[in-house]
Amino acid sequence: MDHSHRVRWFAREVLPHEPDVRRWLVARLRGLESCDVDEVIQEAYARMWAADLDKVVNARAYLFVTARHIVGEHLRRSRIVSIELMADLEVLNIVDDEVNAHRRLSGKQEIERLNEIISRLPPKCRQAFQLKKFGELSQREIAQRMGVAESTVEKHLAKALRILGQEMKTTADEAEVSDVDDSKFWKWGRH
Amino acid sequence: MTVSSGSGDDIEAAAAAWAVRTATRELTQDEQQQLDHWLAGSSRHLGAYVRAQAIWSDTDRVAALDEVSRNDLPDVRPPIRWGRFAMAASVAVALIGGGVGYDQLAGRVTTSRDEVRRLVLDDGSVAVLNGDSALQVRYDGSARRVVLRRGEALFEVRHGDPRPFLVSAEDVTVRAVGTKFAVGFEDGDVEVTVEEGEVAVAGGPATAAPRLVRRNEQLVAAAAGARRAMLEPDEVERRLAWRQGLLVFDGQSLGRAAEEVNRYSRVPVTIDDPTLARAEFVGVFRIGDGRAFAHAAAQAFNGEVHEREGRLHLMRQQNSPSH
Repeated sequence: MDHSHRVRWFAREVLPHEPDVRRWLVARLRGLESCDVDEVIQEAYARMWAADLDKVVNARAYLFVTARHIVGEHLRRSRIVSIELMADLEVLNIVDDEVNAHRRLSGKQEIERLNEIISRLPPKCRQAFQLKKFGELSQREIAQRMGVAESTVEKHLAKALRILGQEMKTTADEAEVSDVDDSKFWKWGRH
Repeated sequence: MTVSSGSGDDIEAAAAAWAVRTATRELTQDEQQQLDHWLAGSSRHLGAYVRAQAIWSDTDRVAALDEVSRNDLPDVRPPIRWGRFAMAASVAVALIGGGVGYDQLAGRVTTSRDEVRRLVLDDGSVAVLNGDSALQVRYDGSARRVVLRRGEALFEVRHGDPRPFLVSAEDVTVRAVGTKFAVGFEDGDVEVTVEEGEVAVAGGPATAAPRLVRRNEQLVAAAAGARRAMLEPDEVERRLAWRQGLLVFDGQSLGRAAEEVNRYSRVPVTIDDPTLARAEFVGVFRIGDGRAFAHAAAQAFNGEVHEREGRLHLMRQQNSPSH
């Protein structure tokens, strides 16, 4: 896979599962101030980027397992370790086909979500982003149209992406998803 | 885990800035060095950068599927939209056939599966005949009459001729003056799509009185009754892209796309996996090129193509990461 393929693979296979991993991490790491969810996620992305993605059979599981390893390493280094937490981490088991299918079929929701996030962007930011993504204009064309410098356009775009990145840490249907009994998708506990 | 260098917020802001730069333009040599240096500083930087690029790329995918946001743009609309699909696959704008005069065809014209033919009629009007279609041209002193026997055809009617331009498809008759429109059979119904001007449609199972169909409207004369739909100009353009020898998919399901491709392809494409058939697909293909379609779809969804007994089978990779 070349660079852009890898990026698209992450967009398709990893991003949709990130909110779930985050929720799982938040639940596990509650009270462990030394362990930051953003940090674990960033580290997980970095490790997965370095992996041989062609061999990854199940990206969701891979993401969870990677995150678990990272937390595990962190906990082992820290002095105070809850035995319960370690046990939880050891037995993570993901049954995900259903979730995968569910995610894959929600293209319309994705669009609605994106539109909703875009509509809340600061005006200049939103204008630059829309002209770039939906108008397919170059930086120069956007700069001319908005009457600002190209570097300013870039700043607006970066800010838009930054906000999108923040929003995509959670799912739009967070409430809806949590209504669904998690145990349907997840198996916890010892076998 | 490296000791954090800067807060999470700073890292994400920097990652977003780099992702935008690398996605939208060439980096200068200086910038490339800065980026390399920043990435080398912490694995968190790399992770945040990968994530930011993935989100940027993800919004492309959503943008490609979306009609609303594009229509929201005040005065920005690319003149032709093919650019958006350039990446998708094997794009070639080629008109198969070409100006074949209808007079040499004794009135009846048929096309094979993998051709689209453009006919210049006596009065200068143009008929573009889709693949696997047939029509008959009957011009006389009182009317310019065309009968669609099978398939689909697009008409561009020449202004200034006093004779009415009439297209009939089974018992449906479409009457047009100086208009661009298409008539086709779809699952046994007759579909009339108007790209420019307006036409009057008469006949059909449940259409007793003539109905006016206007620009960017579609009327389906079905046994169950006529249905009328407003179409976005882009959607009209997409549906009629075959006249340029192209098939355009913009978020249709892969299954539907394959059906449309198979209409023209001598080597049909079969999708064995129902979840794959439901996946939304974006791409532009030359009519008749089932192979290009199958391979592009395989690439898009981490699938693979196997050719067996004259069919192209599209399936998920055995060890696909999406499975």
